[in-house]
Amino acid sequence: MAGAGGRWVQIRIPEQRADQVKRLAWLVAREPFQKRSWAELGFFLASSALACTAVFLLAALGMAGLALAVVLVGVLVLAGDLRVARGLAGWQRALARRMLGEEISEPEPLSPRPGLFAWLRASLGDRAAWRAVGYFVAKLPLTVFGVWFALSVWLEALSGIASPLLGGGAQARFGLFGRPFDPGNGGSPPGFATHVAIFVSGLVLLLVAPWTMRLVVYLDRGMMQLMLGPGAAASRVRSLEESRSKTLQAASETLRRIERDLHDGTQAQLVALAMRLGQAKEKLDHLGGGDDTAELAAVKRLIDEAHRGAKDAITDLRDLARGIHPPALDTGLENALATLASRSAVPTEVTVSILSRPSPAIEAISYFCAAELLANVAQHSRASRASLTCAQHGPWLRIVVRDNGQGGAALDRLGPSSSGLAGLADRVGAVDGHLSIASPPGGPTAVTVDLPSRS
Amino acid sequence: MPAADAIRVVIAEDSAILRDGLVQLLTDRGFAVIGAVSDAASLEQAIATDPPDVAVVDIRMPPTFTDEGLRAAIGLRRSHPDVGILVFSQYVETRYAAELLAGGASGIGYLLKDRVADVADFVEALVRVASGGTALDPEVVTQLMGASRRTDTLAGLSGREREVLALMAEGRTNSAIAASLVISEGAVEKHVANIFSKLDLPATSSDHRRVLAVLRYLEG
Repeated sequence: MAGAGGRWVQIRIPEQRADQVKRLAWLVAREPFQKRSWAELGFFLASSALACTAVFLLAALGMAGLALAVVLVGVLVLAGDLRVARGLAGWQRALARRMLGEEISEPEPLSPRPGLFAWLRASLGDRAAWRAVGYFVAKLPLTVFGVWFALSVWLEALSGIASPLLGGGAQARFGLFGRPFDPGNGGSPPGFATHVAIFVSGLVLLLVAPWTMRLVVYLDRGMMQLMLGPGAAASRVRSLEESRSKTLQAASETLRRIERDLHDGTQAQLVALAMRLGQAKEKLDHLGGGDDTAELAAVKRLIDEAHRGAKDAITDLRDLARGIHPPALDTGLENALATLASRSAVPTEVTVSILSRPSPAIEAISYFCAAELLANVAQHSRASRASLTCAQHGPWLRIVVRDNGQGGAALDRLGPSSSGLAGLADRVGAVDGHLSIASPPGGPTAVTVDLPSRS
Repeated sequence: MPAADAIRVVIAEDSAILRDGLVQLLTDRGFAVIGAVSDAASLEQAIATDPPDVAVVDIRMPPTFTDEGLRAAIGLRRSHPDVGILVFSQYVETRYAAELLAGGASGIGYLLKDRVADVADFVEALVRVASGGTALDPEVVTQLMGASRRTDTLAGLSGREREVLALMAEGRTNSAIAASLVISEGAVEKHVANIFSKLDLPATSSDHRRVLAVLRYLEG
């Protein structure tokens, strides 16, 4: 299509514009037939139904809980209510993931320590659950807005298109933005022209509907990210916990390496030294017979002392290495605790039920706690029997040391008997664990240590 | 040169200095050291090609340095029940000892590494294990005793009888027990007979009953 140069340029620009318009028209025209548009409509319907159910259920449980709050049952119901809110928030996240492909991170997990009171406290103070309640309550006005602004357009469009087939009039339809929609026939019985007008307006609305719905769903996405994901403080706490966990891991690996170096290097050398000295001692004994000269006797005494010194050093070094990293831990906490209990001066019964191994740092802390507590039993309790249990309760590892001694153990009391417990509580607290003591005067004593299995 | 009837030993110890020391010590004491290896796999190979009378096995060896030696020892128990095994460790672990002794206490020893320093005692223990006896470290015995206190199987024994039983578990003979407790051998025999009857052990050969008594004791 050749023409004069000037004309060519003049035509070219409108053609480009026409292209843009065509592309835009195509984009708008195909939108009603995109899977995404229908998924958003489906999501709106499903999530609105979920939100209405959630608000009804949570309000009913909440009111029941408040009504019964004077008795403990009410508090239980309230706590349960919040657990339900947490669960429903999970469903909502699943809806968003499945239907919209919107990923919303899980909020901070709720991991109460074992025990009813701890469970209650954690459930009632569960920020993620409270935020979920907030989401569902805020979702109600959004739902009303969505019905008015987006769902009505969809319904009007679909019923307009279906109208010629069904032969229905304006009265049978839903209206638009809360008003009866009428393409201008003033309520008189519909003629052919009206049918055409309604059908065409249906088609036009069909092109609009996906976009209004998209806006509503966009608002909902924002709300979900804000209220159903992890809170800002919680995210920060989590990242700090992760870095602490790495530090702990590195420290426990270093300790293990030091222990191994001692074992393979220094200890082996000392044993070899002691062995040689032992040999030398025996040979000297054979050599000397009965009539030792003064000098031979002196050499014998020196060798004897060196021999004894080497043996003492081996024992000391073994205790030192065991304090750095108990080698029994290499094969698991169960073995290590069994060995520990059998070394205890007070007869101790051991029960260990661990399904998956805790992290090495937690295993080491558990071991040292058990060692310290059993040492306390032996030193202060005057008990004749003790028991050591170690069991997993969800994400928690619970260690309980009981004895039938005189009781009276305390965390804050000054004096030699309490310093160990206070130090232990610090050590446990450093990994967000918890130590509690039940020790009435006269006994019996039970010390409970809760540690997070993974830290 | 070791004599023709010398006790044949294989040593598995990953620390070179200790391994060389052991070879030198045992050769000096007239043992025939027919192999000195540094890991569990080579130990199994050495024993398969030429079974010795006794193997000295370190518990912690490469690659993981946890309980390779013990696993190997338990395996050898099954494949070569005639080979005596002296397990050798820096630490005492109740569970290890119990696992090792589960299949019977004859021809089994479990000593702390320190014991090589007292050469005569160590050599005596090795000879005992090579000839089917038992040698348990006093510390092993103390701990096993601790582990077994929780049950009342041994509650019927008197204090003296428990002492005698503990020494039996270490693998001592009646005369050695008498010397150690400073009592007469006759008294020891009386205690041993009481132990047998209190533990309700069948009247078979005395050696067999000793082993059974020790096992009963260790099982608690």
